[in-house]
Amino acid sequence: MARERISQADEWQAWAKRYDIEGGIRTFESGLTGKVFFGALFVGLLMMPGSIYLSYVSGQSGAAAAPWVAVILFTELARRSFTTARRQELYMLLSLTGAAVGSGMQYRSFIWYAYFVNTPQAASYEIADKMPAWVVPHGESIGVLTRNLLHTDWLLPIGVFLLSKFLGTLRFVSGQYILFRLTADLERLPYPMAPITAQGATALAETTGKQETWRWQVFSIGSMAGLIWGFIYIGVPALSGVMMSQPIQILQIPWIDFTQSIEGFAPTGVFALRTDFGQMLFGFVLPFPVVMSEFATAVLSQFVLNPQILYRNEILHQWEPGLDVRATGLFNDLDFWRSYGIGKTFTLGLVGMAASIPMIFKLRSSKKKAGERGSLATPPNRGDFPLWLMGILWLIGMGGFVWLIHWMVPNFPLSFLLGFAFVYTPLNSYITARTYGVLGRDLFEIPYLHEITFILSRYEEIDIWFAPFPDEDYGAGTQGWRVLELTGTTFTSNLAATLLIMPILIVSGIVVQHFIWQIAPIPSAQYPFVQMMWPINATNECLMKTSLRDGNSEIIQAIRGDYVAAGFTSNLAIYGLLWVFKFPSMWFYGIVGGIGADPGSMIARLLGAIIGRFYMIKRFGLKRWFMFNPVLAAGFACGVGLIGMGTVAVALVSKAVIVKPF
Amino acid sequence: MEKLASFIIIIGTILWFVSVLFLGGSWQWQMFAALILTIGIFTAHFWEEFYEGKSKNTQDDDK
Repeated sequence: MARERISQADEWQAWAKRYDIEGGIRTFESGLTGKVFFGALFVGLLMMPGSIYLSYVSGQSGAAAAPWVAVILFTELARRSFTTARRQELYMLLSLTGAAVGSGMQYRSFIWYAYFVNTPQAASYEIADKMPAWVVPHGESIGVLTRNLLHTDWLLPIGVFLLSKFLGTLRFVSGQYILFRLTADLERLPYPMAPITAQGATALAETTGKQETWRWQVFSIGSMAGLIWGFIYIGVPALSGVMMSQPIQILQIPWIDFTQSIEGFAPTGVFALRTDFGQMLFGFVLPFPVVMSEFATAVLSQFVLNPQILYRNEILHQWEPGLDVRATGLFNDLDFWRSYGIGKTFTLGLVGMAASIPMIFKLRSSKKKAGERGSLATPPNRGDFPLWLMGILWLIGMGGFVWLIHWMVPNFPLSFLLGFAFVYTPLNSYITARTYGVLGRDLFEIPYLHEITFILSRYEEIDIWFAPFPDEDYGAGTQGWRVLELTGTTFTSNLAATLLIMPILIVSGIVVQHFIWQIAPIPSAQYPFVQMMWPINATNECLMKTSLRDGNSEIIQAIRGDYVAAGFTSNLAIYGLLWVFKFPSMWFYGIVGGIGADPGSMIARLLGAIIGRFYMIKRFGLKRWFMFNPVLAAGFACGVGLIGMGTVAVALVSKAVIVKPF
Repeated sequence: MEKLASFIIIIGTILWFVSVLFLGGSWQWQMFAALILTIGIFTAHFWEEFYEGKSKNTQDDDK
């Protein structure tokens, strides 16, 4: 029987409705209140020093769980004060606390370069004396020698940082907003991962009300599952590592490698079973056709394409028997898949434009209302901004940024900077926004982009390696706007909160970093993780920054035009054929995600998708299950985060009282 | 228009196979095939966007 054509418009609209937690009907309210602002500031600033300190001591900041801890504290306080907390407030609290806890880390590069400039590696590679003054004061300066971040020697680096931060805020807010309007409003992409955060805040908000609904129950089930899984997967290795030289791993982390077992019948194929079964929860949430087609394509890639076609035709030529998943993956990548992947990701950009350009053409004649595909009309009271204003802000932000880089490296060709700023960045961001809109993750990355650019520019000075580059990606941030929409938080309140908290965090972050640096030199025995890692990192940084000195790079030579073209054209053909034979376009995104990938890394997601589709939907019904699963995933993330934070705290205490041999 | 788009896409796909199997996989031929495919895909989407036919919900897929 012939398949009936479902237009892409209808397909996306149906998926978007499924992931819209209230069926698109919502009222928007401000999430910014005094108690939220000061609550976030209090918890964030309380945790920020610990988070910075922890990152130097153990390499893990434990910042991921902090926002959830703040929200749980906040809801408990609200309950005991017989008041209620709205979900808009809780979501705002989540994002502000996350920003506050992470704010100290933005100055980490100052401490790093203050160390790097005086390393023997930087001296022997002849980098130390060529480091620009806008990165770090010279190695003999008082600001570096006395470990004083508040010294006037640091005025220029910190001034440049602050200007970049201001211009960056202009660019990122406006860039993300414009792309959100294009992908979420105009194209109605579903953003499958956005409801997780939105439902988490909603579930916790309900606990402060008079009636608790199913959300709190489902969130608690998810949290308990997360606590148990977190204990098995993170807690046991971390806690046993405190007492034993070899930590106990109940499940081998991060994978169990079967690559050598399959090489007899599938040479060059990789199969490593990823043991993070927390991924099952994402399988519940993601669209079933995407997960299935992704897995099927990955199996086909590793068991047919790699061994039977690419290996037999000597395209994959570096592989040898006995290699594990990492070595096989690396050689396959260099021989073929890296080049193919570049072409493949450009296809995503082109099909995105093919879908959206006709819609833009039709905009003038259409009379669609807000919430329909093909309409740029906004829901009432969402707190939207005029697109023209955002466009101007982005142009000012990007123009200023290009000027700043040009001031930093005046001899670097301006045409490259302009090309990256005004052609590459919009394209790259649009592609990523679309992949977040469909898959909930990024797919587009051109490897060694900076290196290729520096070679093409024939610029040989070392300062360009330290300068920021205008190759940005606003795509991932579009998901945050979708979460705001799902929680019914006005965009204006979010922007106001960001702008209000930023100056406080800028000042407090730098002061805290200064005091931690004053405690002891970084690296030193007080900070064992950085003492072990930073010397190695310094060598790696020297190698990278001098890799193009002789104008030759083997890695860049591995990128081949015919394989890039193959990646681009074959994926266009797949997209076209799926359209011709009337298959849903969701399949295409699954195929693109799975081609060349390791199927072992997808088993947990696949299990989740199968259980969801063939058991949960039958048990709860399609609509209820799609309401349940993001809440379950949010609870799970909360549980795992809390266990992670707890074990890091225990490890920190043990490090403080146990004398290490190094 | 739908048939025209399908025809262009199929021609582009066949040309890509030919370029890989019989023309040594040179990037020039592959990109020529890509150009034809691009035309086909754009034609398909323009037809889809301006075609005001009956629409059908995809929810059936998961039931």
